[in-house]
Amino acid sequence: MGKRVFITGIGIISALGDSVQANRENLVRGKTGIKKAKVLQTRYTEIFPFGEVPYSTEELKNQAGIADVKGISRTEALALIAAKQSIADAGLTDGQVASFDMALLSASTVGGMSLTDQLHDDASMIGPPSDYLASYNVGEHASNLIKRFGIKGLSATFNTACSSSANAIMMGAKLIKSGRCTRAIVGGADALAKYTVNGFNSLQILSPEHCKPFDKNRSGLTLGEGAAYLILESEEVVGNKKIYGEVKGYGNANDAFHASSISDDAIGIIASISGALTSADLPPESIDYINAHGTGTMNNDITEQTGMNAIFKKIPQFQSTKTYTGHTLAAAGAIEAVFSLLTMQNNELYTSLNCNDPIEEFNVSPIKSYKKDQKINNVLSNSFGFGGNCSSLIFSKV
Amino acid sequence: MFIKDLSCISAQETYHNSVFTDGVKDIEDLKIWAQEPDYKDIIPAGMLRRMSKLVRMSVATAGPFMEEHKNLGGVIFGSSNGSVDRSMRFLRQIIQYEEGTLTPTDFVQSTPNCVAGVLALMGNITGYNTTHVNQGLSFESSILDALLLFEEGKVSQLLLGGGDELSEANYNIESQRDLYKEESIATSTLLRSETKGTLPGEGVAMFVVEAEKTKESLAEIIDVDMIHHASKQEVAEKAVQFLNKNGLKPSDIDAVIMGRNGDVRTDNFYDHLQNELFPEQGIIVYKSLTGDYYSVSAVATWLATKVLSGTQLPSECIWKPLNNQPKTILLYNNCEGKQHGFVLMRGVYSSTSSE
Repeated sequence: MGKRVFITGIGIISALGDSVQANRENLVRGKTGIKKAKVLQTRYTEIFPFGEVPYSTEELKNQAGIADVKGISRTEALALIAAKQSIADAGLTDGQVASFDMALLSASTVGGMSLTDQLHDDASMIGPPSDYLASYNVGEHASNLIKRFGIKGLSATFNTACSSSANAIMMGAKLIKSGRCTRAIVGGADALAKYTVNGFNSLQILSPEHCKPFDKNRSGLTLGEGAAYLILESEEVVGNKKIYGEVKGYGNANDAFHASSISDDAIGIIASISGALTSADLPPESIDYINAHGTGTMNNDITEQTGMNAIFKKIPQFQSTKTYTGHTLAAAGAIEAVFSLLTMQNNELYTSLNCNDPIEEFNVSPIKSYKKDQKINNVLSNSFGFGGNCSSLIFSKV
Repeated sequence: MFIKDLSCISAQETYHNSVFTDGVKDIEDLKIWAQEPDYKDIIPAGMLRRMSKLVRMSVATAGPFMEEHKNLGGVIFGSSNGSVDRSMRFLRQIIQYEEGTLTPTDFVQSTPNCVAGVLALMGNITGYNTTHVNQGLSFESSILDALLLFEEGKVSQLLLGGGDELSEANYNIESQRDLYKEESIATSTLLRSETKGTLPGEGVAMFVVEAEKTKESLAEIIDVDMIHHASKQEVAEKAVQFLNKNGLKPSDIDAVIMGRNGDVRTDNFYDHLQNELFPEQGIIVYKSLTGDYYSVSAVATWLATKVLSGTQLPSECIWKPLNNQPKTILLYNNCEGKQHGFVLMRGVYSSTSSE
């Protein structure tokens, strides 16, 4: 059904590094990017570790080539760095980027609200207006990417909480399949922010130690930040380019249970994974590896395992890369898509860190050590969010 | 994709449709607040108290659909700002209590996807669920998402909506960006004000859309398109390309619904499009009734559905008289002159009566 959708470029910046290579090297070595935050301004840096990108916003702007531009949020700087990498990696020409047939689909939850203190003052008319008035809106990073790259095609920006960029990838693939565009840049970005830290703290789900997904004594999630973008191309235009994989399937569902937790019987999770398998036309046993949502909260990990158990007779090898990057919220789906593609490209699987005592009910452990020479043809990547938003993607080797 | 049912809360009395019988209210204020319905019979009081304005407007418009239309297969909602008042309340608490222990209610409601989440929860709609925050194209992106979902063939009908709320906080930010009129003027004079800025508004328009035409269909959304950061000429070229893609040319359009907002800096995009492509067509306007906001195209779509299904528009909506009962309508809106959205709609009215 429809045209095949290939991934020809990837770009990433996370706590693991500011290039695909740096991210992979740390995954292979089992070295986390989670530590005490240095850039983030909040009193909670004393209490919680974070997956912080270890550069100041000025340094990020410099790397993005916009050192002198005023009013740039950290979210936007992260987005621009990763998006530029992805376009360069796919070798797209300016003409291809500026075609009516090129779309951009992004995602963010916090957007320019990463500028928590400036926003407070501007919204309360305290002091002279800041340089950031136009930057607070969550869609502004995407609008500016479109402007900088000269994109003339379709666009969308998602905020479905922690599943946001998974939905951007999904919609980009559907646009290409339907013939509405031939290429798309898809992904998402979120910066650490006082706003988000206090929000998650108010829900009492931040972990005082590094997050421990799928451990029975897990203590909550670790927030992170970053951005990742993928270049999707239709089989019609891809030519003989290097291909990381194919967007094979996708599922989106709502758990319709609670504003900030998933139902015990994992209705939304089961529906999104089943939807992805159905649209990929693959049986459950064809999945070789699952990049789990795996946040490390009591609620997420047990319900995700419940969902996996309901679908798979034997749960495939799985892990949570949030043990390396922290939970990067809207960027997580795209960051984990990049990691999923790296496992396929390099025939390797990465260690899921910090799980010492697996959840007892299911008698399965996430991946305990780095593995080489793995045959990985189909990867499932899960992203679940507040508001009951559940999305699952399947990437396949070409 | 076909519109089967619709509901709208705006600054006019649109919730009960009396704007079409009792006429348009002229409002003189710097902020054009929504005329919210009496929620007493719509939302239980205990729930209402906890809801943000955006959530309660969305629940009031979508709630009755959940009773009347079974098998709603998903929720797609466009809102660039979400429950911005809750965001700001949470933000103020962070600063005021120096990051002390806060209650999560405002945080959870502040995220724009809260609306689609609440609607899914209330209607037990476990299907497709997304929220679009693409600024002035939030509703256009939502339409595109719905078209793609129907093309997959797994869903037959869903909830599609768009809305934003106005608050002091976002008014303060946007007014410092010079988006709004500094002078107090009546909405009736907004579109001919010839000064910079517009009047900020708020509201929600909600639709039940279906994949196939049925006897309940009111109008068809044929397609949607958009372009960013474009010149007047590029916008006109995009419009022609969009129509061509759908087998139409400008002369096939009977009327254009334009998002003119009285800002002299950006209304020239509408003048250009009208002069270049649609010199003979009737032109319909609406922001002089509702004010302007990111997801306001949802109101334009609501209005288009009304026109296409035979409702007589108030004279305040007529920028240039219609030649006849329109059958094919193009909607064009620009946000701050940088995002341009097009929606193509067609009536099903005459074809249903001939069946």
